[in-house]
Amino acid sequence: MAANEITSRSFINITKYKFVWLCVTAILLLPGTLGLIYGAIKNHSPLKVGIDYTGGTILQYGVHENIQNQELATLRTALAKAGIENPNIQIIHANAENQKTNVNLKNIISIRTKFISEDTDTENKITEVIAKAHPNSELMSVTSVGPTLGNELFKKSFTALIVAILGMIIYLTIRFKFTYALAAILGLVHDTLFVCGVFALLGIFFGVEVDSLFITAILTLIGFSINDTIVTFDRIRENLRYYSKKMSFGEIVNASVNQTVSRSINTSLSTLITLLALYFFGGVTTRDFVLAMIVGVIVGTWSSIFFCTVLVSIWEDKDAKKIAKAKEL
Amino acid sequence: MKNKIIKFWAIVLIAIVSIFIICTKPTKLGLDLAGGSRLVLEAQTTKAIPQITDDVMNTLQFSIENRVNKLGVSETIVQRVGENRLMVEIPGETDLQKAKMYIGETAQLEFKKPGGTDKDGNRIWLDADLTGRDLTKSQLTTDQSGQWVVSLEFNSEGSKKFAELTKSLVGQEMAIFFNGDLQSAPRVNEPIYGGHAQITGGGDSGFSMEEAQEMVNLLNAGALPVPAKIVEENTVGATLGADSIAKSKFAGILGLGLVMVFMIIMYRAPGVIADIALILYSLMLFALFKAIPVTLTLAGIAGFILSIGMAVDANILIFERMKEELRAGRNLFTAINSGFDRAWASILDSNMTTIIACLILYYFGTSVVKGFALTLAMGVIISMFSAIVITKNFMHLIFGTGELKYPALFGLKTSEIGKAYEATETKRENARFGILD
Repeated sequence: MAANEITSRSFINITKYKFVWLCVTAILLLPGTLGLIYGAIKNHSPLKVGIDYTGGTILQYGVHENIQNQELATLRTALAKAGIENPNIQIIHANAENQKTNVNLKNIISIRTKFISEDTDTENKITEVIAKAHPNSELMSVTSVGPTLGNELFKKSFTALIVAILGMIIYLTIRFKFTYALAAILGLVHDTLFVCGVFALLGIFFGVEVDSLFITAILTLIGFSINDTIVTFDRIRENLRYYSKKMSFGEIVNASVNQTVSRSINTSLSTLITLLALYFFGGVTTRDFVLAMIVGVIVGTWSSIFFCTVLVSIWEDKDAKKIAKAKEL
Repeated sequence: MKNKIIKFWAIVLIAIVSIFIICTKPTKLGLDLAGGSRLVLEAQTTKAIPQITDDVMNTLQFSIENRVNKLGVSETIVQRVGENRLMVEIPGETDLQKAKMYIGETAQLEFKKPGGTDKDGNRIWLDADLTGRDLTKSQLTTDQSGQWVVSLEFNSEGSKKFAELTKSLVGQEMAIFFNGDLQSAPRVNEPIYGGHAQITGGGDSGFSMEEAQEMVNLLNAGALPVPAKIVEENTVGATLGADSIAKSKFAGILGLGLVMVFMIIMYRAPGVIADIALILYSLMLFALFKAIPVTLTLAGIAGFILSIGMAVDANILIFERMKEELRAGRNLFTAINSGFDRAWASILDSNMTTIIACLILYYFGTSVVKGFALTLAMGVIISMFSAIVITKNFMHLIFGTGELKYPALFGLKTSEIGKAYEATETKRENARFGILD
């Protein structure tokens, strides 16, 4: 029997437990969503956004010595004395030693202030304060974004995202069906919400901020996750062609998921391997970007298997029942 | 078979060309890797120019370009972004403080005439309709007493204006303002014809040589039609850039190596072939980056390394499919072919969606997003080529005509083979020739 062939290797039963999977998805989304709501109420912004979106200046100094945590307080008072208002100081452990390029960085002191690009005096004052504490320090990077520009950047990225999603819906509707397209896009919304939620929590507990690279990470994971979802849908489409007379839609969904699950997991694993290499051995500046990707790849795999397919099977089952009813009448 | 051998040599040729390009062409590194500064200037409206038009922006861009070129750094970029902004990129390590002052200065030279004093006794100077625009050039010279002065040469209209102004001011003082600061206010003894003038510095010591030289440079570069404010600044020291490159390189090679090991463990012999395809993929993509050239940024490198993971995907799809076909008892030739054929729809749909998203992001996105979208789209297209052409070709060359003698080569157990065979609807004879139901 054909049905036996494609159901013989079932590990996951999607259709039998569809409401269980939906509940698990909802529970997993809950903490992050709460984090986003908390941020929105308390700080008027769901995520702790960096200067890319709020405007401001970040000065980063490379230091060759180890830095004790209590030094932060000393630096803060010294900066306050120099007339710098509310500086946000962070120590990033770099531990970069590279004899060829003559790099020997232990730490990076990162100082965030209001927008000071035009006013070179303030920059010099800060540099003086740091130089007093660490004579060998070196100003490694300056990032400044004007207040009006930040808002514009955010709007622009957001528009790009919405238009990209519309484009994908149209393509998927042509190649599959509108319900499939909608399920795939809801999967993307799920992934984006989850990753944003994780970063909202990281922002609340560890002060992690999102910058323009974060948007790039979201875009990548959208591309990745839609890949995963489409491969599964493609299998459903193919199996429908061969087995639709012998099996119910639910059975076909189940079989298709089980046929593609090892591919989904293997692809995600190989991507995770490169991401983990980047996370542990790549540069400090992209670490948050890579972290967002790691979280995204994992939830993207989850959503393609347990979320998008469940949605499709619920909607398509309803459609099938309607058609059956119409036929009876 | 002949066809396949031609294809094989074509692939070898592409690989050689790629290696040649990689070895000979330099990599174009973004500012975040090479070190350097990116400034975004916003044109400000003034009373005289209440609206920023295209003309104003063009003049502004021209004068800023002139100034940036004077910095003596190669490969600087001045680019218009949006309605009223200019993006200036200065690669390499430069004195940013100086560069910033230099770029932001309006360089507005104005001659003014006296207009009495206000109630606090400060002198009032009135516009005389003679500005830096009326100059043809300026030069650094010394006067009789050996002090540095800036000598000016007016154009024909400027000469006329200057002559009239000095004629009307004989016996009075005339003021020279630079960027709103009074430089000097010499007494006019007689009308000056011929269109030459000098600016001496104020005070006893006059100009220092640097001061005078800077003024000359700014005057020659031309005044900005409107003031420009720095709204965004991004400077990365060369140290941080070098650190990022070194680390990304290491992480990239490590990631690639681990993925290759993973593929061999999971898929055995086809895994080895996929690994070769993966190396060729990396070579081709990198060569293309250099040939176009695509400026490599941190986000771009991350995208490149990530695309390695994604490039594997097409191979995994095909191999999983092939395993299924082998389990179903098909012979090797059929399994390879149907593995590719059946995986093709998935590969096409998933990659097309990504490419569509990339196109839209490229069109609408900001510069970081643009670079990323371009890198990803190129990666996706080349990965399709590598999976469909390279992997398939190698698979056929190596396993093409053979029967499946050693299932372990494909990560299968002998007991699994043919188990599912009876269950399929395809007739044994059809399956043998690759005909599927």
